[in-house]
Amino acid sequence: MTFHWMQLVYALVSLFIVLNVGLIIQGIVRKIGARLGRRHGIRWYQLYLDLFKNYAMRSAVSHGIMFYLGPVFRLSGGIGLFLFMPVIYGSVWFQNFSGSGDLILLTYFIFFGTLGMALGAGESGHPYSAIGITRGLSQTTAAEIPLILAIIAIAVQYQTLSVTDIVAAQQGGILNWTLFTNPLATIAALLGFLGSMMRSPFDVVMAPQEIPVGPPTEFHSNFLAVLQTNRAIFPMAKTILYVNLFFGGATNWPVLIIKVFLLYMWPVFIGVAFPRFRVDQSIRWFLRIPTLIGILAILFI
Amino acid sequence: MTQPILFIALPLLATFFTGLTGKRYGKFQSAVMNLALAGTVLISAYYVSAFVSGTRQPYTASTAGSLPPFSIAFRMALPEALTLLLINGLGLLGLSALKTTFRQKGTLSAVTYLLYFMALNGIVLTRDLFNYFVFIEISSVALAGMVLFKESGRCLKAGFSWMMATGVISIFLILSAILIYVRTGALDIDNILLTDPLVLYSGSAGAFFLFLALIFELKPFPANGWALDVYENASPAVSAVFSGAGITAGLFALYKFLPIVGDRWLFPLIIIGLVTFLFSNILALKQHIVNRMLGYSSVGQAGLIAAVFGMGVLSKEDMFFIAASLMAVHALAKGGLFWLSHHTGYTSVYEWAGIRHKPLFIFLLGFYIFALLGFPPFPSFFAKWSLISALAAGPYGWMMAAILLGSLLEAAWMIRWFGFAVKGNEQTANEIQKTPPVYTLVPALLLLGLILLLNRSRFAFILTNAWIPLLFITGFFLLDFLPARVKNTFMIGGLGLYFYFLYPTLTEFRLIFAIIFLLGGMILLLAGYHYKGRRIGFYPSSALMYSGLVGLLTAGTTVEFFFWWELMTLGSYFLILRGKKSLPHALSYFLFSMGGAYTMLSGFGLLAAANQGSLALETLSSGGPFQAVIFILLALGFLTKTATVPLHIWLPGAHSEAESDVSPVVSAVLLKAGVFGLILLMAGMGPQSLGRVNLYTALGWLGAITALIGNLSAIFEEDAKRLLAYSSIGQLGYVLFALAMMNHLGWLTATVFALNHFLIKALLFLAIGGVVMRVKTRNMYEMGGLIKKMPLSFISVMIGIIALSGVPPLTGFAGKWLSYNATVLSGWYFQGVIINFAGLVTFLYCFRLIFTIFLGQLKDQHRQVKEAPFWMMVPQIILMGVILFISTVPNVALKPVGTFLTRYFPEHALVWDGPMARSLYGYWNGYMIMLVTGVVFAAVFFWLFFINRKAVKIKQFNIVFAGERPSRPELTHFAYNFFAPYQKALGFLVAPVSTDFWNRLSEGTHAIAGFIARLFSGNGQSYVIHQILFAVLVFFLVLGGI
Repeated sequence: MTFHWMQLVYALVSLFIVLNVGLIIQGIVRKIGARLGRRHGIRWYQLYLDLFKNYAMRSAVSHGIMFYLGPVFRLSGGIGLFLFMPVIYGSVWFQNFSGSGDLILLTYFIFFGTLGMALGAGESGHPYSAIGITRGLSQTTAAEIPLILAIIAIAVQYQTLSVTDIVAAQQGGILNWTLFTNPLATIAALLGFLGSMMRSPFDVVMAPQEIPVGPPTEFHSNFLAVLQTNRAIFPMAKTILYVNLFFGGATNWPVLIIKVFLLYMWPVFIGVAFPRFRVDQSIRWFLRIPTLIGILAILFI
Repeated sequence: MTQPILFIALPLLATFFTGLTGKRYGKFQSAVMNLALAGTVLISAYYVSAFVSGTRQPYTASTAGSLPPFSIAFRMALPEALTLLLINGLGLLGLSALKTTFRQKGTLSAVTYLLYFMALNGIVLTRDLFNYFVFIEISSVALAGMVLFKESGRCLKAGFSWMMATGVISIFLILSAILIYVRTGALDIDNILLTDPLVLYSGSAGAFFLFLALIFELKPFPANGWALDVYENASPAVSAVFSGAGITAGLFALYKFLPIVGDRWLFPLIIIGLVTFLFSNILALKQHIVNRMLGYSSVGQAGLIAAVFGMGVLSKEDMFFIAASLMAVHALAKGGLFWLSHHTGYTSVYEWAGIRHKPLFIFLLGFYIFALLGFPPFPSFFAKWSLISALAAGPYGWMMAAILLGSLLEAAWMIRWFGFAVKGNEQTANEIQKTPPVYTLVPALLLLGLILLLNRSRFAFILTNAWIPLLFITGFFLLDFLPARVKNTFMIGGLGLYFYFLYPTLTEFRLIFAIIFLLGGMILLLAGYHYKGRRIGFYPSSALMYSGLVGLLTAGTTVEFFFWWELMTLGSYFLILRGKKSLPHALSYFLFSMGGAYTMLSGFGLLAAANQGSLALETLSSGGPFQAVIFILLALGFLTKTATVPLHIWLPGAHSEAESDVSPVVSAVLLKAGVFGLILLMAGMGPQSLGRVNLYTALGWLGAITALIGNLSAIFEEDAKRLLAYSSIGQLGYVLFALAMMNHLGWLTATVFALNHFLIKALLFLAIGGVVMRVKTRNMYEMGGLIKKMPLSFISVMIGIIALSGVPPLTGFAGKWLSYNATVLSGWYFQGVIINFAGLVTFLYCFRLIFTIFLGQLKDQHRQVKEAPFWMMVPQIILMGVILFISTVPNVALKPVGTFLTRYFPEHALVWDGPMARSLYGYWNGYMIMLVTGVVFAAVFFWLFFINRKAVKIKQFNIVFAGERPSRPELTHFAYNFFAPYQKALGFLVAPVSTDFWNRLSEGTHAIAGFIARLFSGNGQSYVIHQILFAVLVFFLVLGGI
């Protein structure tokens, strides 16, 4: 693969778009959630304000070098994941650096930030951080199983692990989407998706009641701002991956944004309807129905 | 001028002479006795050399100048001469061991001793049945007298039982002499055999009684309590000659008279011999009194050799080689062991810790034990190999099983004893003098001589190929007095030189593994510079292990491979045993290794049988009708080394209890020996199935389950080194899974995993080892916050865990990517999912490892802790460099591997385009990934650094803690029972099923031993009843047509 400087420019442009989309969608979702709960809620652009405020703060204190590197790892993980993803199908430029690696790279790169953040939060010495991380890691291992099963199922179905090729195979009509050609894999993956979006019933990682905010407990001011930036990018990147794999991808930005918004609402709906699981409960849950569906998906390829 | 009669006359004359000089045993008497036995030794040595050089022919000398039946004939040929040399040599050595006894007891005791040897010489030489009876009587009475050298009630009782039991033997013998004489009119073997076989053998009660007498002389199980009581209660110096010389004579008599007994009795002989061998070793398991254990072993070995005499399947040449080697090694080693026991005066195995700080004693004990166990390069190793190969050629699987099972049990109790000697609690033992006496040393020298004699055997080729490594090993034994640093330099230099010379001859996998074994070994040895003093025993053991490892690569035949495999096991066992609390774990490692080695031995035996005795490794491809069985047997051997579930339970203890610079070696380097074996096996034998089961599918599942169980067990460990050890089990599970796929991508994956495991585990074990050295605990919850004290170790561990968990951009991801591709390619989806789940679980223990040790709260007692020692860090820095290099340009390492793999699996190879690899399904560009990640990381880092350039570092407890300020680090360091919810959800998966199984097996065997041991009541009358019942049983069994 030859590198072209324009690639970098386009990658930064798409990164900027996704950051804004992420902030706005999350603002809107919080507004909707508040209204459903008969509260007034925040302004839809509140997240922008938080972000600007935190970036503007200068009174930073640090627990040590790894504490410092935690947010760096986290944001690099989010941006990296996005940068290795083909965004707009058919576009020459909005492919980011997806030529560096395939679906497997994406599934493993998700952990880059997680692990780095875990290290950074660990150095703060706050037990809540560590507790949140063990919960998060434990839950993730189980939630990944249905996803892995689904990925293997579609890899076998399309005989490729290249995301671009998988999107290409779904072109030509809504019935060509994996959602319809391989519904079982899609269901398994969507159930797994719930586990990675930090929403109820799988939000014990942040656990606002018992352990104030989980891993980021000790992060403040612009450390927190970096994390907030990532919170806008990372879920979007994951959602785009699902759109690419199961919902036909997107050939232009509006379609992508609509699909991402709709898919993003899936864990939101589940989240407002179901109460929270403990970690051991969620591990068992992921290893039962979703895993079974995943196995069926492979059996019925 | 020499005459066989001198063997009788010299001791007899000396006896009379000393007897006449009074009761006092002075220098003069001692000189006479020594001269007499030295004379017989010299004469037998003369005969041996004369027969070997061919200057004399075997002949029969008659006494009193007339022919049998009017005289007694003495036969003198090479077997007789060798046996006499052995017996009289032991007699001569035994004299010095008993010197003090003779001084106290007077000449009469010395006379008894000499008479015993005269009788043994007679037993070997005589051709006359009645004369044999006479010598048996003399030897029995003499031995009974020798038992009384020690004055105690138990000795008296043992001596009395002995007299009663030998009385029964005498009755059988005299009965047989009468009956045979009646039937044949002769008492001389040669004349008896001239009789028409129909007359001689038809319904002959004479043969039956003779058989019984010969067998009873060898103390068959279970009618042998009387002999065991003698072993236990007599002075060990007496037991030494009783076992070494007495058994040798008894076996020779059996060999000599067996033709008269007839072929019909060969099969019962095998059964009795093997049952004795097996059960003696089971019974020895339960023992802790060394002399009795050695007694069981003597009885067992006699049974084994007797069974060899019965095996008509062996060619004459084979039988001579096997029996002679086993007899010689047994006599010398057992003599040596009993004399060591005599010198130290220790009775229970626990007391043997007294020799802990006396290297020469440990060396001797180990030398004799491993000679008895049939380790290379001792002749007994080649005897065992020949025996198993010969049996494998026929339908004698059960004999192989009995022999190998017996040997395994023998190893169990002997190694336990050795372990106590090296690692036991020395306070329980009396102090002994530092230098061992001559009589304990000479057998070792003679054994060395025997090894050199092997030059003349058909296994000479091994010693010709192996002399450089063997010299290397011997050199380190001899140079052990030098300071550790000097030896370390020699060792590194030696490995380097060896690699330099081997490099041109090695290709493909052999080259890869040579890099791991030799270059890897060199890197890891750098850590050895940290240790001061002499580190006695470390370098000889390492030399054994490294020579063994490299030998595996250079071996061209199965026997060479096995030779080096055993040496490697031996060396690594010694290394593991060096750990402070490694006693039980080293034993468990050794036993599993031996079990694996024995299945491997039977596999190689069957293979040789299928190829008309050809031993070349290339014959793996032609396994004949039993190829699936051969495959399973060999695979079991290798899977034990790679610690595949359920053969894995030895690993966590062995790897975690080893010293800080040994753990990385045994984990990163040694485990690869099993991987190399598997590669050799799979490449050699190709696809295999047993019935309708595809064995590779089974192996794949086994690999996946191992990966999951290993990794799951790791996350629940509180002990950092045990965590890493369990992680190794998991990693090796990946390798097995990938190899079992038997396609290009699978094998590439396996190679990557193996290389990664080497780099990562070496790095992590060194880093954690360094931490443990400093904080003096392995419990992770007792550490915390060490990043501030040991930043370099932290970086090591961080690089290690990122690579281990397979997160891009480091090298672990290469393995994950390949593994996914290979899984889809081979259609092993479900196994693949288990593997991936296991991979995810890796994150959990990786995080635990780094968090609970380096992050969180620093404990008060660790505020003065320093960075890990310099020499522990040096290899880590090298390893980190290698990991980062390979991560950036994976093609440098993977492309050549892929190229030669196309020779095995031409299809589905990766296509390389610079650093970009393409498979059938996907693509991966390690360089780009590293670049993108690096740039993003650097950009965010510098930006954050810029906006936070005024950040202030705050104090440890300055955290938001529910409005309070925590007082102690322990209260805020979350580390114990780290993954409690996981335990709750999935803990049932790691229930110790395998451990329970092996424990029950071991307890069950001990229970059986305890139950059977009740037979041996110490009551002479019971013993006689045992003998009679035994005779009746044999009679009915033979009548029933065995």
